[in-house]
Amino acid sequence: MEYIGLFPMWYEPGIGSGWVVGLIATIHVLFSHTAVGAAIFFAYLSTVSYQRNQPELLEFIKRYGLFLLVFSYVLGSITGPGIWYSTTVASPRGISALIHSFVWKWATEWVFFVIEVVGVYMIIYLVGKVDRATHLRISLIFGIASYGTMLIIIGILSFMMWPGKPEWFVEGGYLNGFYGANTFAQLAMRTAFMFTMTAVVGGIVAGAIKDVAFKREITRKLALLGMASTLAGGLLFMWYMNTLPDSAQVMVANRLPDWFAVSLVSVLGGIFAWFAVTWLQPRLLSPALAMVMTVAVLVFGLWPEEVARESIRKPYVAGQYVYSNQVIARDVPGMGIKSEIPLIERKGFLPTQVFVPAQLRVVTESNALHAGRSLALTTCSNCHSLSSTGMRPLAKYFGGNTDVAQVKTYLQGTLGTGNTIYMPHIPLNDAEAYALARFIVSLNPQSLRNPLRTAAAESTALVAPTIKE
Amino acid sequence: MDAAMLYALRDPAGVPSHPLVFLVLGVLTWALHIAAVQVMLGASALTLYGAFSRNPYWRRLAAAMLSTAKVAVSVAIVLGVAPLLFVQVIYDPFWYTANVLSARWVIGFIVILIVAYLAMYLFYYRNPRLATQPVRGAWHLVISLLLMLVVGWIMHVLSYQMLLPEQWMSWYAPNGQIDPSGKSLHGYSVTRFSFFILLSVAVVAAWLFAYRRYLMGRNAEDAGYIAWLLPLAHRLMLVGGVLAVASGALWLATLPEKMAWFATSAWIWVSAAALLATAFFPRLLGHKLDQSLWGYVPFALGAVALIVVGTAREALRYFTLFGSHGYDALDYKVNMDWYSTSLFFITFAVLGGVILGYLLTVAWKAGQTEGVYTPSRAITRLGNLSIGLLVLWVVQFFAVGFYVWAR
Ligand code: HEC
Ligand code: HEM
Repeated sequence: MEYIGLFPMWYEPGIGSGWVVGLIATIHVLFSHTAVGAAIFFAYLSTVSYQRNQPELLEFIKRYGLFLLVFSYVLGSITGPGIWYSTTVASPRGISALIHSFVWKWATEWVFFVIEVVGVYMIIYLVGKVDRATHLRISLIFGIASYGTMLIIIGILSFMMWPGKPEWFVEGGYLNGFYGANTFAQLAMRTAFMFTMTAVVGGIVAGAIKDVAFKREITRKLALLGMASTLAGGLLFMWYMNTLPDSAQVMVANRLPDWFAVSLVSVLGGIFAWFAVTWLQPRLLSPALAMVMTVAVLVFGLWPEEVARESIRKPYVAGQYVYSNQVIARDVPGMGIKSEIPLIERKGFLPTQVFVPAQLRVVTESNALHAGRSLALTTCSNCHSLSSTGMRPLAKYFGGNTDVAQVKTYLQGTLGTGNTIYMPHIPLNDAEAYALARFIVSLNPQSLRNPLRTAAAESTALVAPTIKE
Repeated sequence: MDAAMLYALRDPAGVPSHPLVFLVLGVLTWALHIAAVQVMLGASALTLYGAFSRNPYWRRLAAAMLSTAKVAVSVAIVLGVAPLLFVQVIYDPFWYTANVLSARWVIGFIVILIVAYLAMYLFYYRNPRLATQPVRGAWHLVISLLLMLVVGWIMHVLSYQMLLPEQWMSWYAPNGQIDPSGKSLHGYSVTRFSFFILLSVAVVAAWLFAYRRYLMGRNAEDAGYIAWLLPLAHRLMLVGGVLAVASGALWLATLPEKMAWFATSAWIWVSAAALLATAFFPRLLGHKLDQSLWGYVPFALGAVALIVVGTAREALRYFTLFGSHGYDALDYKVNMDWYSTSLFFITFAVLGGVILGYLLTVAWKAGQTEGVYTPSRAITRLGNLSIGLLVLWVVQFFAVGFYVWAR
């Protein structure tokens, strides 16, 4: 017997599993950028303190280090594995594809993590206990190791969007997958924005400096860093967009809302203005204001960026060969990977999937609704909510259509042919298309509110439309 | 779940080195992870006990163990990432299924861990001088400890559900009705979990010997406290040893049928010997404990014992899945990738070795020094080497990258 390797499904009816991942990821980006930003800023302060013989600066690092590093660090180090765990349950084959190509890269990153964890405690607790040259050395080690983690993760994130070089599909190999124009463009852009974050977050620290002259000096330095990095980041963003492959360009042109470009420019403009103001009036800077600014960057900058990245890689979730609905979409001869589409075309989903209850493997008149639900769960629910809330609720797109035959024709004509750019190719034979259509029709928003909440709720929900017929 | 199904769930990309390499690294890093977890649990428990004691030594111990616990959580988390990586390389069919079937708890794990960690910090902020002042807000620490145990329980369930493929379908679709909510924890073994948690007693005892040795290097005023720690560590080690053997035996007695072979296997004898050796070693050392670096040896030996126990735990998994389900984790398709394999081992051995060697030496020496510590020339050279190696690493990242990009 041949199978396609789909795992069981996790379906979150409230906001959808995609949003759960997105939320955790955005929070993590805030914490980790704050941590990296603070690390670099502290390495800088440590240097100044050493060169000018100003030990009070180190005291300062200690006080704010405890707050900033430990908190963004503690929470950053939990939300990091958190992204991993949440993608594991939301998209197991997506994360699996990344892990199996890049396990050694992640393991290498882990060595840097261990160095960071040891380093962060030493930077804080050894202030005043070691000579300043040693403290500076530790800060530098910490700063470079932090950047090392970024170098590694960027390559993996780029692969997730698009393997570094197209040769990867034919030749395979880690290097072809990891490195490419897109990797470097993204790295350059993120590095620039990392300094922007450093400057924003540094404001939390600088705002608390008591010495007026020193506060002014540091604040202005941060403002210059912020303005330069925001400008550079904006330009590098354009380079980045140019390195996107054609298919992604099509997605950008068609799928990103019109306001996206406008909002991007205004966010960057807003950040720039913030730095301009703190340069002109350093005394206005306070920790509270800087914190508000940090959160604003998160909500208006990082979150939309996460969402955009998510939508331009549709219908794939990893490496342009794993569909969002977890099916392997194409051959990758370089890695010995075979598309699963031909098997599905020959035998259908239900007989070839591992996790299908025995009584649903063959569609009959009496099990069609349940079989349809099973199909909807595996083939659509990664992108379409099956309830009335969450991401792109399926019911809305079919707007209460009750004609099973019509829906069936639609499914086979569009998804079945694979002609929609943002949706996977989902071959559906007559029996499975019928079952899925039956289920979709039963989602009619008026008759059902939340058909898939749990098995218990389901037994009442699914019975209703059956009886009606 | 027949073997064909399990194999179908494997990632078609294969793995970039021989699967045995991942299996071994998984065992080693898991042993380190669980050691940190056990230090953290044991230290939290000692903090809690000491916080309510009137004995000034107990109070001092409570303060020290609180600092230990705070750092140990970080270390446990970062050391947990490595086995998390390796387990899904060769056991992906099992790990992903076990996770998805309890998805809500997997997400809950993150939230619960955050709350547990923050609760520990809140306790710390309310008790900056635990050694001398009455404890305040002890319930923070109680909550933290309980939630840490919940986190461990979730980890346990995920590890255990992997071993029960024959039940997956009945969990995913009870009575043929698919339940995709991931709301339940399905498979667990209370005795197995208790064994790993109760090991904390012996591990924290070994930790106390090391802590005591560390204090001896500092100054003479601590003599009373150091003397007081010795019988405490010995007593905890004895209790810990008994608990480990008893709970281990209970776990073995309650193994499900398909794993029953494990109870009488050689893995168990070797593990039991390693645990007992660790438990009796400090007594054997006697006065030697106070000489040169011997005080650190019980903990080192404990770490070795944990690696042995971790190996036995892995044997249980490998042979159960192989014997009862026909899945051989070691016949994974290999797409050998020399560059990333060597880069990891070089980074791990050379950069990791040098840099962590430098950092830990400085941390240790600074702790042993009154006032400001200035490292010797040799140690400073190690520090400069660390920075140089990091810079070199970054340079090779770009050099290789530009070469590949331009090719
Ligand atoms: C890779 C994610 C993905 C999967 C899987 C997916 N869709 Fe879509 N679908 C989309 C996106 C994105 C849109 C566009 C939404 C919009 O424009 O608001 C869409 C739109 C639609 C539409 C609206 C008409 C159209 O063509 O734009 C229908 C109907 C639809 N999907 C049905 C389905 C069904 C049925 C399934 C499962 C068999 C499915 N989709 C699977 C992503 C997906
Ligand atoms: C801080 C609280 C934690 C506790 C108390 C804890 C405890 C445990 C325990 C008891 C086990 C063994 C379960 C068994 O075999 O029955 C385990 C396994 C494991 N833990 Fe943790 N853990 C914690 C945090 C973490 C974190 C944060 C991670 C990930 C980053 C992690 C990753 C793992 C992994 C991957 C395994 C399974 C390894 C395998 O099966 O190969 N743990 N943990």
